[in-house]
Amino acid sequence: MDDLTVIDAHNISKIYNADTIPVYAVNNVHLHLNRGEFTALVGPSGSGKTTLLNLIGGLDKPDAGSIKIKGIDITKLTDAELIEFRLRHIGFVFQSFNLIPVLTAKENVELIMHLQHTPAKERNARIKQLFHEIQLEDKLNSRPSELSGGQQQRVAVARALASKPKFVLADEPTANLDTQSASNLLDIMDRLNREENITFLFSTHDQRVIERARRVITLVDGKIFSDTMPARTF
Amino acid sequence: MITLMAWRNIWRNPARSLIIMSSIALGLFAGISVLGLYKGMMKSRVRTVIDKEVGHIQIHHSLFSDDLEAGYLLPSKKNLEGLRNLPAVKEVCYRTLAPAMLSTATGSAGVILLGIDPDAEKRVSGLDKKLIEGTYFSGKTRNPVLIGKKLADKLKLHLRSKVVVMFTDSANNMISAACRVAGIFESENAPLDQRSVYIPSQIINHLLGMEQASHEMCILLHTDESLEDTYLQMKNLFPLLKIEKWQDLSPETALLVDVANQYSIIIITIIMLALAFGIINTMLMAILERTREIGMLMALGMSKSKVFALILSETLYLTLAGFPFGLFFSWTTITYFNRVGINLSAFREELMKSFGFSQIVYPEFPSEQLTRVVLIVVSTALISGLFPALKALSLKPVDALRK
Repeated sequence: MDDLTVIDAHNISKIYNADTIPVYAVNNVHLHLNRGEFTALVGPSGSGKTTLLNLIGGLDKPDAGSIKIKGIDITKLTDAELIEFRLRHIGFVFQSFNLIPVLTAKENVELIMHLQHTPAKERNARIKQLFHEIQLEDKLNSRPSELSGGQQQRVAVARALASKPKFVLADEPTANLDTQSASNLLDIMDRLNREENITFLFSTHDQRVIERARRVITLVDGKIFSDTMPARTF
Repeated sequence: MITLMAWRNIWRNPARSLIIMSSIALGLFAGISVLGLYKGMMKSRVRTVIDKEVGHIQIHHSLFSDDLEAGYLLPSKKNLEGLRNLPAVKEVCYRTLAPAMLSTATGSAGVILLGIDPDAEKRVSGLDKKLIEGTYFSGKTRNPVLIGKKLADKLKLHLRSKVVVMFTDSANNMISAACRVAGIFESENAPLDQRSVYIPSQIINHLLGMEQASHEMCILLHTDESLEDTYLQMKNLFPLLKIEKWQDLSPETALLVDVANQYSIIIITIIMLALAFGIINTMLMAILERTREIGMLMALGMSKSKVFALILSETLYLTLAGFPFGLFFSWTTITYFNRVGINLSAFREELMKSFGFSQIVYPEFPSEQLTRVVLIVVSTALISGLFPALKALSLKPVDALRK
């Protein structure tokens, strides 16, 4: 495996109701993602996008196949090892903003670094940098309830990046955002991808996201239907 | 960060948390008040036993207590002077004891005739203060006796009633003497009132034919704390005499004190166990409401031990937040009633007396029990937190995130 490969998934399948009528949520999928990719996983509802993201993110285990992240087969890790792996190597952005309501924006981002035992000085510097990147320096001490949906999702992106992950998985990140907020969020993710070479893989229905993606993988009935690299104009 | 999150989490639903905190405060208030009431009752009972009944220490001939035979006398008072002069000893009195039959025109009763030195006796047992009728051996009555109210009621005796006491001397000869009731006393111990009859020692000693002799030395110390040391000193000085502490002389009181302590702790434990269900319910509700959030924390990389610690900390805070209030309210209440007393005469005065309890109880704050109370509360919190915390751990991030 070369240094560029971030995700290398082979023959992965996820079957529900295996004992009665088996339903293949993900069916024998191969997926290879290199560092710095900005990839959209698209497909109709029930096509297996979220399941595939969960499998790649180590939130769920496949019934068959292997998933290597930077050369480590995460399907062989124990639950405790998987938690530690997610903390160190994967950033998550969920569809509904999923910030901890009792923590401020700053504390939400800081939590991940606390879990990683990052020293306070380093934490503060990283928070400053991340909030600058998401353009929310003035909202450090705001609770999630005091932020708009778009602002909350930007904080969620900052949190996903706090641990300096190998890649970020985003499950329909713009689904609950208005056009302007979605556009702002995509600008930030796009810039982080291009300037800091951070790998993004997001599932989406959103045409705005699909248009910004440099690679689009279409899933249908748990299988990869197409894998294209549309031409982009900047 | 975990502690900060836990503290803020309990305030997400302030009404629910305040209800639980209030129940814990109330439960503690109830538990500590019971402890305080028991402590006050027991302390009062112990004081009565020491100051009005048996003193701190009593000394007898080693065989006297077996069947109260008149022949088993103490060494002379001069020989026992060494005990009187011990620094911890406050007062001493000597008694001559004789099991006797007290008869009147209307009936008879088995009693213990106690020959006493009236002056010494009032300093040791405060007998004069228990008098409710008559005089304390100060009149000119021939062969005066003091009898308890309970005995007077039973035998329908009044002041100046004539009674005949019959007992045996050291040679087992029957002796009888006609006496007059010079006074009627009433103490907090009805059974004792019914069987004790006091008479000046020179009269009974004369009847027994053993002037200056005594069967019992009753000793009052300056402080309760010096009891053990003084007891050991006395044992060393007079190894052949039977030297007993108040706990040996009134074992039922010593047992009662022990049992009351155990009971009060059991009562607090039961109260806290009942509260534990409320805490468990609240925490389970909190977890149910936050299933998705907990799943998200696990997805982000929060280890199971940290999730466990988070839930346990929340339970601990929820429980301990009510603790100072319960403590404060119980302390305030107990301090107030310690000053004014609680009149328990409504709860069957006679029954209280038959067990030797005063009808007015002065509760005392059980400071020496606080460590145990804190341990019970913390254990309750930890036990209550265990089930919700395990429930949270059983969540799978992928399932929790779907909720």
